[in-house]
Amino acid sequence: MKMISIILLSLFLVTSLNAQHHHAADGELGAGKISAEHSLYHLDAQWTNHRDETVKLSDFRGSPVIVVMFYGNCMEVCPILIQDAWRLYSSVDESVRGDVNVLAVSFDTENDTPEVLNNYAKYEQLDIPGWHFMISKNATVRSLAMMLGVQYSKKSDGHFAHSNLVTVLDKEGKIAIRMEGLNQPMGEAAAVINSILMRK
Amino acid sequence: MKLLTNIASVATVLSRWTIMVALLSFAADIAWAQQNRVLVPSGSFHSVMPEVEGEAVKVNTFYLDVTAVTNEKFEKFLDQNKNWQPNEVPAVFTNKGYLKHWKEEGQRPDYEDVGRERPVTNVSWFAANAYCQWAGGRLPTLNEWEYSAQLMDFDSSTEINEFTTKLVSWYSSVDTKNIGEVGSTGIKTRVGVKDQFGLIMEWVEDFKPPVADELSLDCGTVGRMQQLGNAYSYAASIRYITRMSYNPRSSTSMIGFRCAYDDIDSKFKLEEEEL
Repeated sequence: MKMISIILLSLFLVTSLNAQHHHAADGELGAGKISAEHSLYHLDAQWTNHRDETVKLSDFRGSPVIVVMFYGNCMEVCPILIQDAWRLYSSVDESVRGDVNVLAVSFDTENDTPEVLNNYAKYEQLDIPGWHFMISKNATVRSLAMMLGVQYSKKSDGHFAHSNLVTVLDKEGKIAIRMEGLNQPMGEAAAVINSILMRK
Repeated sequence: MKLLTNIASVATVLSRWTIMVALLSFAADIAWAQQNRVLVPSGSFHSVMPEVEGEAVKVNTFYLDVTAVTNEKFEKFLDQNKNWQPNEVPAVFTNKGYLKHWKEEGQRPDYEDVGRERPVTNVSWFAANAYCQWAGGRLPTLNEWEYSAQLMDFDSSTEINEFTTKLVSWYSSVDTKNIGEVGSTGIKTRVGVKDQFGLIMEWVEDFKPPVADELSLDCGTVGRMQQLGNAYSYAASIRYITRMSYNPRSSTSMIGFRCAYDDIDSKFKLEEEEL
């Protein structure tokens, strides 16, 4: 039985790997078109930020964006993740830092209301211009996570198992660099942001 | 003055008539919806995932489509959502396989070839997610889907063995060119959900849970998953592992989807509010 399953498993994996391999032959489109096609700003849904304003991802087009996904009740890992985003933000050249936006997006569509997020932002002393703590409906939050490659699932105790990821988007909303894991060095990512800001 | 009154009353009649027609089609839609989704009562089940061994997973009551979404229904979705048509959809949402079995030109399915009532396949997670939102629902969670799949009644151990054998034979000879129509497997849960085994693979909301990174897809993992030893564990372990090999843009000929709902008539409630 075990043997059969291994064979079948390989069969299934080959099928899906083929599909991915097939994708490698995507190069029929021009580079410009492909590039725009990979923008996260195609996710055309509404979000609410901690200032209770309605925003869309594409509102941030034109400047680099740092994205981090977290949830408010997360007392251990998430403050570190938010601090990671802060470390990156504050390593950007001070003269241009004002052009960088930070999106801290919550998974917790049940508990993280704009008001809760507002308190969170204040508690973390991050209720500052350029920082947006955001929430949307579940299907939208999940879509963004899928686009970023963030995995999360709700546990029965109301907490979330989730991957720890800080992502930088370029001016068009494409992924410029991703940092997986907590407490990562931010020098490279800061350099990426600086170079995006240099580009006209 | 009289003329004005007449016009007014004609207008009233007309608008009443429009409302009547709207309400009638509304009622028909509700009837259609109610025929196509069933209540899955709350309960718990044992997942084959090794890390939750022993601990039953609780699932709340929800509604689930009786069958997978068909080619015909997906075409209706594309009619109303042009941005999901194959020539419009950006690469961030799908790979090249998206709807590749439909007719190349015209973006229409060739029903003689693909069948109206066959499940739509070659759809990415993003497309499935968009469809379910349009339909007033959402993708079922991984736990909801797996829980529903296990709600079957068997009369005897012989029946269980037959079922298991049937599954093994299906998984070893999936012919994606000849997928049957929805409802054709004859496999049905006790609440009436059909074809959760034996037709296609289906997207779920969280198809790649965080634990996926920690699991290596080796013999040991597969073996552990099957130690649960019930009628479903073989098929379930294949499903978990196959799902983890997908990315959300994957559009393969083996994968389709069905939707879940929190209310019986969520979409129609919404439309009523908008009227």
